[in-house]
This record gives sequence, C-alpha cells and structure tokens, in this order.
Amino acid sequence: MLAAILSRLLRMVVVMFGISVITFLIFFATPSSDPAARIAGRNAAQETIEAVRKDFGLDRPLYVQYGLMMQRLFISQDLTSFANRGQKIIPTVMAAAPATLSLVSGAAVLWMLGGIVTGITAAAFRGRWPDKLLMGISMMAVAMPVFWVGEMVNLVTQNRLHDTWAFSWVPALGYTPFSENPGLWFRSMVFPWLTLAFLYIGFYGRMLRTGIIETYQEDFIRTARAKGLTGRKVLLKHATRSAIIPIVIMFGMDFGVLVGGAAVLTEVVFGINGVGRLTYQALKVLDLPMIMATVLYASFFVVIANAVVDLLCLLIDPRMRRA
Amino acid sequence: MSESLSLTTRMRSRILCGVAALALGTALQPAFAEDAHYGGTMKLVAVASEGTLDPHINYTAKYWPLFIWTHDGLMAFKKAGGAASAEVVPDLAEEAPVISNDGKTYTFKLRQGIKFSNGKDLTVEDVVASFQRIFKVSSPTSGSFYNGIVGADKCLADAATCTLEGGVTGDAATNTITINLTAPDAEFLYKLAVPHAAIVPADTVTKDAGNEPIPGTGTYAFESYDPNASLIMVRNPYFQEWSAEAQPKGYADRIEYTFGGTEEAAVNAILNGQADFMYEPVPSDRLAELSVSNPDQLRVSPQVAWWYAPMNVNIAPFNSLEARQALNYAVDRDALVSVFGGPALASPVCTILPPDMPGHVDRCDYTADPGEFWSAPDMDKALELVEASGTRGQKVTVVTDDSVTSRGVGTYLQTVLTDLGYDATVQSISGDIQFTYIQNTNNNVQISVTQWYQDYPAPSNFLNVLFGCDSFTPGSDSSVNMSGICDKGLDDRMKAAMALGSTDPEAALKEWGDIDYDMMKLSPAIPMFTPKDVDLISARLGNYEFSSQFHWLVGKSWVQ
Repeated sequence: MLAAILSRLLRMVVVMFGISVITFLIFFATPSSDPAARIAGRNAAQETIEAVRKDFGLDRPLYVQYGLMMQRLFISQDLTSFANRGQKIIPTVMAAAPATLSLVSGAAVLWMLGGIVTGITAAAFRGRWPDKLLMGISMMAVAMPVFWVGEMVNLVTQNRLHDTWAFSWVPALGYTPFSENPGLWFRSMVFPWLTLAFLYIGFYGRMLRTGIIETYQEDFIRTARAKGLTGRKVLLKHATRSAIIPIVIMFGMDFGVLVGGAAVLTEVVFGINGVGRLTYQALKVLDLPMIMATVLYASFFVVIANAVVDLLCLLIDPRMRRA
Repeated sequence: MSESLSLTTRMRSRILCGVAALALGTALQPAFAEDAHYGGTMKLVAVASEGTLDPHINYTAKYWPLFIWTHDGLMAFKKAGGAASAEVVPDLAEEAPVISNDGKTYTFKLRQGIKFSNGKDLTVEDVVASFQRIFKVSSPTSGSFYNGIVGADKCLADAATCTLEGGVTGDAATNTITINLTAPDAEFLYKLAVPHAAIVPADTVTKDAGNEPIPGTGTYAFESYDPNASLIMVRNPYFQEWSAEAQPKGYADRIEYTFGGTEEAAVNAILNGQADFMYEPVPSDRLAELSVSNPDQLRVSPQVAWWYAPMNVNIAPFNSLEARQALNYAVDRDALVSVFGGPALASPVCTILPPDMPGHVDRCDYTADPGEFWSAPDMDKALELVEASGTRGQKVTVVTDDSVTSRGVGTYLQTVLTDLGYDATVQSISGDIQFTYIQNTNNNVQISVTQWYQDYPAPSNFLNVLFGCDSFTPGSDSSVNMSGICDKGLDDRMKAAMALGSTDPEAALKEWGDIDYDMMKLSPAIPMFTPKDVDLISARLGNYEFSSQFHWLVGKSWVQ
C-alpha cells in the first residue's frame, strides 16, 4: 500500500514537473511576450525596460529563471504576479479556490443525483416515452454550450423576469463566501449550480442508461433473474452497481478538472471569481507566474482526483480488488 | 496612451443614430453643490481589475480616473467637463509656478495645512521624495515624461541611488519646491498633472506597493484592494477642500468597484439598479436596444484619439512611398465609420492630430477632392500610384487585435488592398499581445490596426511619440513608432517645435499643424476615424461630467 502511494506521489511530481517546464517554455516562445516590456509599461524608455529586466532577473538564463520561479513558488512562496508586481500568487489562488469549490461541489451533488436518476429511469422505461423524453432532454443538455445556457439563465433571472415574484429573490451576480452569509451564498449559487450540473446530468444520464442496458445482456443478470429476483432488485442492486463504475471514473476526472479551473465559462458568466477565471485572466495578460501557479494547481487536482477514483472503484467493484 | 490605456477599446459595431444626440446635451451640466447629494455608495463594475494600485506605476485608463480622486500632484487637470478639462490648475501648489532661467526652473509654493489620508502633514520632503520615487520604482514614464529633470539621467541608470540632485529641491523654511530642467519643456505642467507625478508620503516603500494602498491627499482614500474581487474607496477623513477646480469634495461617501462577470451581466446590473457604471463598452447588440429602451442612461462624449493603421516604412511593400500614399487615397473612411458603429460614434479623419487636439488643422490631401475635409476615396489615383510603385501583386498581412471592430477594420483594409492588386490577408491576435507584437520589428508586421489616446493635450503626444525617431527601437517590444519612420528633417522640426512651445505657444501650435501635414505627405499611417466614448449609467446617477483627460469624473457624480 505504502509503495503504491509513493509511486503515485512520484508520478505526480513527474507529471507536474513536465507541465511546468512546458508552460514555461511556451511562454517564452510566444512572440512579443517580453515580460520586461510588459511590466515596464506602455511606451517605456529602453532604460526603464532594462532596469525592470534586471530587477526581475529576466536577464538571466532561462533555466536559472525557471529554478528561481519554482523556488519562489514552492519554497519561499513569495512569487508575485507580472501584471501586478505587488500581488502574491499563492494567497490569490488560495482566495479564489473556495469560490470554485463551492460551485463545483454543489453542482457535482446535483449532477450525480440527477444523472443517476435520469439514467436509471430511462433504462427502466427503455423504449417507452419517459426514456425518449429524458434522452431527448439529455441530448439537448449536452448540445447546449454552458456559457450560452448561463447567459440565457441570466437573461431570464437578471433581466427579463428579474422583478417578478419568480426571480426577485435572485441576488446580483457574484460570489458571497459561505462564512460571510450562508443564505446569500446559497441563493447566489443556485443558478450557477443548476447551469453547470445541467450539462453533466445529460452526459451521465446517457452514459448510465447505456451501461445498464449493456449490463442486462450479462450472464450474472440472467442468473439473478433465474434466481427469481424482482425486476427492481435486478436493476438497482446488480445492473446499476456494475454500470456505475465508468460513471465514477468519469466523475473523478470531471471533478478534478473542474476544481482545477475548467469551470471557467460558468465562473465568468455568473461573476464567480474562482480559479478558472483567474487562469483565464492570467492567460489574457500573459502573466507567467499566475499561469504557472494555476496550471500546476489544476494538474494537482487532476492527479489527486484520479487517485481517489481508483480507491473508490476498489470499494464498488469487488472484482478489482483481486488484481 | 495606447488602446488599453484608453478608457476605451470601446468597440461597437452597430447602433441607432439616436444614441449620440441624446446625451451630448446632458454631458455638460453645471455642478450644483447641493448638500442633499452628498452621501451614498456608488457601485462600479468591470470585467477585470487592472494591476497595481501604485499611482506611480499603474498606467491604465481604468485606474487613472480613480487616482485623480485619491492623490494630487503639484498641478492638476481641472476636474470639469468639456473643454475646460484640458486646463492645468494649481493643486498642491498654491498657485501656478514661477518659471525662470529661460523656462528651465520652476518654483512652486506648497499649500500648507494639507494632510495625507494617514493623518500626516504634507511637507516639501514628501514632494522631493515622490519625484525620486518615480525613478526608484521604474515608473513607465520615468524615461519619457520626467527624463528632462536635472539628475534624471543618473536616476535612470541607477534607480536605487536616485537623488535628483540639482533637479528637485525643497526648502522647508519657505515651503517651496524648485524643479530644474535640462531644457525648457512646454509640456512639463501637464506631466506634473498626471497620476505618475502624484505626491505620496516620503516614507512610502520604494518598490511597487502592489495591492497595498498608498496614502494620498485626495478627497477619497483606497480602503482595500483585491484584484480578484473588488476595490473600495472611502472618504479621506483628513480631507478639506482647498480648490474646487483641482480637487473638489466628492459626492458619494463610498465607491465600490467590483471585478468579474461579463459585459452582458454588467448591463443587466446597471438596468437593475445594482450598479451605477460599467467600465467596459456596452456590447453592440445591447447598445441598439438600450438606445431605444433607456436612452436617458447613455452618455456619448467626444475623445481626443484616433484609430489608425501604421504602415511599416522599412519593409515591402510599404517601403515605397507611392504604395503608402495609394492606400491612403483608396481607404473609404465612411465605410470604416460604419464598421465602428456609424456617424453617431465616430467621424472620419485625415490628419494625425485629432480634431480636438491643439494644433489640429483641417486639411486633407488623400481624398477625391483635396481640401479641408475628407470626402470620398480616389481609387483611380490609388491604382496609378500602385502601378508606379511596382508593388502590385505582393503579399500583405493586416495585423488586427481580436475585437470585433478591429477585425472588421482589418477585413475592410483587406478588401481595399485586394482591389489595389495586392494579395492581402488578415491576421487577428489577442488584444493583449497585439499592441506589443506590432511594435517589434522582429515580427515583420507590414500594416496593423491600432488606436492611440492622448496622455495630455499636447500635439507632441501624437506626432513625436508615434512618429519620432526616439520612439523607434528595432527589436524591442517597446517601440511605439510602429511605422518605423525616422525622417531627420521632420524629427528636428518636432524637437524645435517642442522647444518653441515654451516661448511662443501659438507659433508652436501652428508649426505642429504644418508638421502634421508634412508628415502625412510621407504617409506613414492611415488616419481612419476619431472614436467617441459611450457610457451606460444607472438611473439614479446624477451630474455626469466627461473630462477629455480622465473621462467620466466619478467624484463629481452623485447617487442620491
């Protein structure tokens, strides 16, 4: 067990090292990304640019700069942004993380519940109208881009029907920390959760339905039926349990990626200043330290989520424990 | 000042004509000092924050209009709407300086009894230290605005030991500050009136203060700043109004700037009364709707700016004078105005100096009927010139940024170039990279689409900065003379005109008008149009005033 954990940790470090080097090199290969000219400001005199270059150590060889950046990011933890020299990177990312976590966790609960209910219901009513209806809606959910759905939701809740009884309770867009005002936190998160979850309910519902239907062809289902188990028991206890494994694996990946910042579109549309938006803004202004920190943060969560999923699968599926 | 420093990279593509008419009338309301209007919280929104809160370093159009309310210089641009906003008035200085020594020595008397927002008294030491700090923190304009101060050369070479010895000296006994320049500078008072010359306490850190507010003397003080969330301004508890022109008492008690979301969301927030002002331009699709549904909440104001297309005079095909002139003849400015949103939002131009810039003269050669104004393109002449240049058939790439308007302008230029017989393409680059990309000669940009907004109302701010030899540095991302033109004769005349400005301003302005005309004969760029500014404000916001220098004057508007 210890060896397994150590090997995972080692793999994580290697992956993150590779990603950081690639990020670093791509940045310096981008034309007109000269950080000194950007930090110095528009139309800065050449002397000013040189002074900044020296001040930031940008005149040193790339590998030295890489080493210094990593040292300031992980060891002294005082790495500052290129766009705002006084802004420390790590506290900024840490401050943005709860917003993203709130968004993604809430949405994850909704989409797992919604996806499972949709998948099982559709499978149980296979070929009949509830199945067709649910699958139709799921297809729509998958097809509609999340930023568009978000804007439509805003159009209704913030603009067209904002002053009616139905949506007057929706607060202005933005994020309120749970610790500050739990009620407001909840009210402001309801529509972002639903919007983000909508897409994934569609995905997961369809996946699960297909999985269950495929499982119905398996021998152990036939055996269960032959034993005289009820249709419901076969569906819930045997078919679903087996079909849900790919869903859990998918969930782990999706959750990790989203916590790492992939919910950027939802964050931006709903004014939630989380890690995704931070990454996006950093990319926009070519702020290398921030890009580096957010990219590593994201990769960290993907790796961790993968490890957790592996463990979960062992719990769900006894067959995997044997390997 | 470049595109993102402008209060606007305000792009809009379509709009009803009604919008403009509406608000010019209301833009210049007189300010009523009614006590009832003082108080309340003003809410501003922007998609993103824009860097450090250090007034000596931040060089953005988002924060300059805030710094003028939190910090003061020795001089200030008058906080008034309309033409008066271009006037410089004494701020922390008691009165206009005494200028001696052939325009090289400025003597200021410092006002007494002024306190910083931390309660400390303002002294001459603070003023001296602030000027040193401009160099110690490598302010973006330290080498362009303030390099004429005696001792600045040493400070630029070694910032840490900067003393400006012989340049800026203070005398506590007489409460005066003396600034010595190496040469007369007619624009020096303007340079003292922008936030980079703000006076901060002498003990302020001599590095970028970042998110930590630096105490100032203005009517407001920054309370907190989180670039990923909000910027809060509150009343400076020690502020007492000393000059209503330079630093009037602000109306709102508190100003909250929040960052995040989208432009769409900002429009909704303003319509719902959740916000009073949005920094970003109103999305063009909403603008058309708003001009009908909420015309009284839109304000349109003229700007001193231009959209232009610099042509690289050092590489083919625009190293040929005829080729450059041909394109200037061929471009239909009316079509470009339509791309930007129509005559309500922009007007065609033919000169480098924008119409509201001192020195501007209405003259236009590159039109079907040469005279004062541009009327129509002259394709026949253009085709002749292309033929004469021998560049027909060459490949040309127009580099634009990724905004809708910039791409629209680029696509239009592509069709004109194609009509002239070139093999033209458009390349769009992220707006945050494009501005430096087109400056660097290593990228071999032939022609690009960009904008420039005034830093202060002086012709050199356009002509000398954008087309002077000093602004051209091959291989650097900071080489704002994108045409790469360096005409010795014109460069000398520009330097002479700057010097002349300090002795005979009238004659200097006339000379700038002539330089503009002669520069356009060399056709280093295509002047396209002068953009206007459009602001969407909440229904409760009153007393909107627009300064040509700092745009909307936040402190002069009230919310109750």
